[in-house]
Amino acid sequence: MEPTLLKPTLYTATGALLGGRCACGHVFFPMQTYGCEVCGRHGADLQPMTLTGCGRLLSSTVVHLHADKARTAPFAIGKVALDEGPVVRTLLVDPDREIAPGTRMVSRIVPIGDSTVDLRFALED
Amino acid sequence: MARTLKDLRPVYVVGVGWHRYQNPSDISYVTLGVTAIREALADARLEWPSVESAYIGTALLGMAPGRPMLRHLGATGLPISHIENASASGSTAFRQACIEVASGLSDVSLAVGVDKRNPVRRESTGVDHLAEDAIAQFTHFSLLTNEYAHRHKVSFEDIARVAVKNHRNGAKNKNAQRQRERSLEEVLGGKKVAGSLTALQCTPIGEGAAAAIIASEDGIRRLGLDGGRAVRVVSSTARSERVYDAGLGFDAVLTKETAALALAEAQISPKELDIIELHDAFTVEELHYIENIGLCPEGHGVHLLKEGALDIGGRCAVNPSGGLIAMGHPIGPTGVGQIGEITTQLRGEAGARQHPGARTGLAHMVGVGAVCYMHLLQKP
Repeated sequence: MEPTLLKPTLYTATGALLGGRCACGHVFFPMQTYGCEVCGRHGADLQPMTLTGCGRLLSSTVVHLHADKARTAPFAIGKVALDEGPVVRTLLVDPDREIAPGTRMVSRIVPIGDSTVDLRFALED
Repeated sequence: MARTLKDLRPVYVVGVGWHRYQNPSDISYVTLGVTAIREALADARLEWPSVESAYIGTALLGMAPGRPMLRHLGATGLPISHIENASASGSTAFRQACIEVASGLSDVSLAVGVDKRNPVRRESTGVDHLAEDAIAQFTHFSLLTNEYAHRHKVSFEDIARVAVKNHRNGAKNKNAQRQRERSLEEVLGGKKVAGSLTALQCTPIGEGAAAAIIASEDGIRRLGLDGGRAVRVVSSTARSERVYDAGLGFDAVLTKETAALALAEAQISPKELDIIELHDAFTVEELHYIENIGLCPEGHGVHLLKEGALDIGGRCAVNPSGGLIAMGHPIGPTGVGQIGEITTQLRGEAGARQHPGARTGLAHMVGVGAVCYMHLLQKP
């Protein structure tokens, strides 16, 4: 059985991110048609654009405490500037290690339960 | 071209008051609010019926909590508006009260911030995120700490010194939620929340109230108020986040943009600032904001901190109230309370916290969104 993606509107089973591009050139994540944050164009002026999931780490932190008991700490969060432009905040595969800013990162699809997978970021191979 | 506050008629803060910021309790928000307002009225030597309009800054009390609180001062029929703007709710209420008086619609207006620690509810926009459900506010600022320390080669220990200073100031403030001096070891040794951030480097969200009464020169004269204790509001500036290049944090850039406008409006240079009350919900924020307000180049904030330049009695007293870290951050009250602290300092009435010769003060607040609000106050 194919595993279920936790957030299928945000990424594909191969780790590509489902972003968008405005007619003005602004690239954004995730895809939406409400309107462009730079120029205000909307609807068909905003078209889907697949983002590779490669980027550069801006910062990372290991979280020691979290209010939601279902999310066990420690876990690590990173801020990644994707090669296409958007900056995303994401869970990192390695839960207990800070990574130096500037490091190349890549998206990974990882199992998070019996039959569910989610997108995380890890060091580029 | 659109006008600024300074182009309208002059406005003054004539009365300030608080209910102490504290840990959540059974005390009703009505008691918190009317306590602060009565203290502000007494401070201004003003009777409630002279107040012509009220702006209530609150984020966590639900729909329309104002009239059920204000009726206990005497239901005069004055217009009431509620202002919700996240952490900047109180600052925004203050700005609206200033605009009301500056425009001539009122001679005397009230800005009051009041909140209890209730759960935050935000409607979904329908645009999902990868991991926002795993990112608390302290995680955002831990990322910023990591970025700042790496970019400027600053140690986490030095960043934590912001908390040592602000706890020291809060220990002298009877309205502060935390009133205990803390050593660097205590600050660093506390419970870790994310990265290098420890509990004593984070604001304790609590409850409380703060009030400020704003008046025109006509109002001061007509009501026989003490003009000698009035403090002038020389600028009011507000901005919201734009799209910035990757790697430029909105926290810093938004403050930089807003500060440039505020200082230009008042024709004041950063060197002239004697007091700054700013949004130090987390230690690294204080360094980011003083640098972007223009006290020193980026990355140099720690030098000022270690020299004592940011202490009461230093070059510019930053967060003499104790700031959000020690005085606390009950959300709605916080921005109004900053105005109260600056007014008290500029009047020379701050007692053990008095910064000598204080003449010009800046209040800075950011809120989720992000938005940024600044007010410059000056002794006439």
